[in-house]
Amino acid sequence: MKNGPLFFLGLFASLTFSFAGVVLFSNYQLGGLTPYYDDSEGKSFPERLPGVAARGQMVYRDLGCVACHTQQVRRPSFGNDQAQGWGERQSVARDYIHQSYPQLGAARIGQDLTNLAGRKPSALDAEDLMKLLYLGQGAMPAYTFLFQDVKVSGQVPKTALKLTGKSAPLPGHAVVPTERAQVLVAYLLSLNTAYDYPESRPVVKTAAKAEGAHK
Amino acid sequence: MSTDSNDSTAIDTHSRGPLLLLLGSGVLWLVVSGVLALITSIQLHTPTFFADCAWLTFGRAQALRETAFVYGWLANAGLALGLWIAVRLGGEAMRAGNWVVVGAVFWNLGVSLSLVGIAAGDAAGHPFFQIPSYAQPLLLVAYGAIAVAGVLAWAGRRHETGFASQWYVFAALFLFPWLFSVAQVTLVWLPVRGVLQAIVAGWFAQGIYSLWLAPLALACAYYLLPKISGRVLPAYSFAVFGFWTLIVMGCWTGGRHLIGGPVPAWIASVAIAACSLMVFHYLVVFLNFRSAIGAKSSALYFTSFGLLAYLLSGLVEAVISLRGVALHAQFTFVEQAVQQLSLYGAVSMVFFGALYFAVPRLVGKNWASSSLVGGHASLVTVGVVLLVVALTAAGVAQSHMMFGATQPAKFAEVASATRPWLLVATAAQVALLLGNLMLLVNFAQTVAALVPFRAAANSVSRPALKSVLS
Repeated sequence: MKNGPLFFLGLFASLTFSFAGVVLFSNYQLGGLTPYYDDSEGKSFPERLPGVAARGQMVYRDLGCVACHTQQVRRPSFGNDQAQGWGERQSVARDYIHQSYPQLGAARIGQDLTNLAGRKPSALDAEDLMKLLYLGQGAMPAYTFLFQDVKVSGQVPKTALKLTGKSAPLPGHAVVPTERAQVLVAYLLSLNTAYDYPESRPVVKTAAKAEGAHK
Repeated sequence: MSTDSNDSTAIDTHSRGPLLLLLGSGVLWLVVSGVLALITSIQLHTPTFFADCAWLTFGRAQALRETAFVYGWLANAGLALGLWIAVRLGGEAMRAGNWVVVGAVFWNLGVSLSLVGIAAGDAAGHPFFQIPSYAQPLLLVAYGAIAVAGVLAWAGRRHETGFASQWYVFAALFLFPWLFSVAQVTLVWLPVRGVLQAIVAGWFAQGIYSLWLAPLALACAYYLLPKISGRVLPAYSFAVFGFWTLIVMGCWTGGRHLIGGPVPAWIASVAIAACSLMVFHYLVVFLNFRSAIGAKSSALYFTSFGLLAYLLSGLVEAVISLRGVALHAQFTFVEQAVQQLSLYGAVSMVFFGALYFAVPRLVGKNWASSSLVGGHASLVTVGVVLLVVALTAAGVAQSHMMFGATQPAKFAEVASATRPWLLVATAAQVALLLGNLMLLVNFAQTVAALVPFRAAANSVSRPALKSVLS
């Protein structure tokens, strides 16, 4: 490699090659993905997040929740995500097209949250989630900085957490969620990818079977 | 002994100011990232640790640790060592040293700004790409200023024939700004849609390792080993193939983290194939360096440990990228173990070796304390081995309980099963932090010989001082 310009051209070409292959080609393939319009339901999927939930996603992102929670379900034949109750179908690229910052994640120190609001038989409601954030559970820490301890005289605020036992606030006090906690919970309650897209259904080799039957 | 200063040259003393500034900042960041690593490691088994502090949630502390380690320690040290090799092999005194100083100051200001930003919640949120948007242009410009000296060293080199270490240094210097600016445009300024962000981020993160950090480490290894052992590398004529395999295939392996994810299947398939092809690169590295393993000198000890870890990480990546294995290793601590093996075990260890070789030559004096060198070597070896083993064991336990189950996993049980291993990982982080503190103290004492107020005591000549201050 005595030829300097040729050497640098080689370097440039190598990186351009992988850039074109990985970035440009996948952009060509997925960049134009549109929502899927369902005639029978009369609307398109995925639906946009309500504004408050979209703000909650920013809180989710800036606190770094993604360090412990993924938001991607693997297909039923690949891993046991379905048995874990994390989702009946695999996540597909179309699920994320409205998200400015998809939080796919790379570690499952906690559970996958793709379908948190659609858990069966029963999903956590707003009150459960607030308590979970305030008290923590198992490996999940308590994020008390998302809450305020306020003095109350007279009526307890509507949003106050209903805490009992050791975690209960002092008499005359109440624990209320901050705005950040409220939008975060709104976001968590919006996490559900129930709609079944054509590409998310498992490939069934019907044609091959039918052919076999004829012979 | 290779950590002696007796073959220090005028080229070394001339470039000592800028290079010691970079190396010193790097070692400081190494200690900072060690403290952050300790915090995240404790948080894994004791979630209440710093839990009420919004600045240090596990997610943010993790991003802080990674940024301080990669852009603080590895970048500063790698650039200093790369420039040192480029200048030495170029055969001319370093030009544009002032640019390096200015660049180093702004780079480190940029890294500090990034850490404050991440703690406040402004992280860009991708692996190896946590730097907040407002700090990114600053880092890119500062990098450009540092790299000027490298470009001039290449342009003014005395020997037309390139050495393997030169290819690696210049590839790293040249490819980082390319990668970093593409990532800025596609992830921050004009973000691509949906899962494309994960694909681009995977490509970028792999590029940072394969096209920037690993080449800088290999440049150090190709420079040091023949120099210290005095032997010709046995498969040097193959080095060129190893080089181009890494440069061409490196970035394609990034998609292995997306196996089974919501992306087109070819991204994972190409990554798996690329991981297997990369085995050729590791084979060439092994053939060239096998003779160095088991050497006595401390610089060579770190370097050969690093090269062994590099080979091991390459083979492990080829194996765990296979779909059947990835299925179980994905999303567990095993992935963290592999990352630590390549970043700490491979790249950092080679940098330590090169640093122990370079600093005495730059300063013109031996290391202040050889027992601190030995202490650093033992603690870091123990730390890296324990850390990788503990994280792997925790990952295996986690994978068994989470992916082996046919019913919903109870995360509290997973946490208690992995807890003993995570405690071992914390012990490993303590060992690493103590070891790196030894390096910091030793470095400070060695360099202190050059500082004016101690000049009389250490009888350093005035011209030598001038070159530090200029």
